[in-house]
Amino acid sequence: MSHAATDHNLATEEIRRYHHFITLALWLAAITGVEIVLIFLPVSLSIILTVLCVLSAIKFFAVILWFMHLIYDHRLLFWIFIAGMGLAFATFTALLSLFAVDRIDTKWFS
Amino acid sequence: MSQVAESSHAPTSTGIDHKKLIMWLFLASDCMFFGTLISTHLLYRKLYPTGFTDAEGHQRFIQNLFNIELTSFSTFILLMSSFLMALAVSAMHKGQIKSFRRNILGVIFFGLIFLGCQVYEFTHFLHQGLTIQNSVFGSTFYVLTGTHGTHVAIGVLWLIILYFYSFTGKLVGHMGALDVEIAGLYWHFVDIVWIIIFTAVYLVEYLGPTGFWGTGLPLTK
Repeated sequence: MSHAATDHNLATEEIRRYHHFITLALWLAAITGVEIVLIFLPVSLSIILTVLCVLSAIKFFAVILWFMHLIYDHRLLFWIFIAGMGLAFATFTALLSLFAVDRIDTKWFS
Repeated sequence: MSQVAESSHAPTSTGIDHKKLIMWLFLASDCMFFGTLISTHLLYRKLYPTGFTDAEGHQRFIQNLFNIELTSFSTFILLMSSFLMALAVSAMHKGQIKSFRRNILGVIFFGLIFLGCQVYEFTHFLHQGLTIQNSVFGSTFYVLTGTHGTHVAIGVLWLIILYFYSFTGKLVGHMGALDVEIAGLYWHFVDIVWIIIFTAVYLVEYLGPTGFWGTGLPLTK
């Protein structure tokens, strides 16, 4: 492939990404708006909590995949980040499981 | 993998630029760091759901402290700064230095607004009597959001340096674009951490008629 053709492909790719970024920014703003409205709706707490977690996860992955270029980049980078995130989530789950009590009796500390 | 990514890689054994690889490794470790801080905050929020006692001995409730409008505004600002950062990186890949400078100034401006909101929030909380020492909530909240704020401040400083560095004429070509991309990765990471903090620390407090943690306090102010 000639140098001029490669440059043309790079420019086309960047323009395509530019449109993705604008669309994504609008979606992120809209999802944040939905989250704020959700917390005031008189719906079951577990449903709202689940929806909030799903929406956060969507925002999280949208940013790392498109804004951080993981979708365009080397697969190894994706797995490095997933490893760190997996360990963080495992720590979170382990801690919540270890302290799965409703509340501490403060008399033990007095 | 796209042609852009393939053509921009330096000849390394992994096929990935070393600077970029190191940055991703750092972000993965920072992920664990924030994961621990967020876990600790949620854990202690569950174990000690009631509020705190201020300097005058009055019992205060956590839910009344938060200002959802301010936090939502901060979140929106940070998300939009991430968008501008993506545009700045894209501009550098296209070699459009003026466009890069415009977008990076926008990111710096939004970052400073975010920091201003955080300073305002911390000052408000201190006036309400919440300190880092007088409650478990105060300790975990200030450490978590303070650590994130420090990350934002470092990011703003980094971008200011990059902005002025671009006038030296050395921020050009593939290596210049790579330097901006790495700063962008850090900035986006700060954004995704806030996405989690916004839900786990702030929004959760407003769930249900008496708050998610069940303190028995109605949320009406």
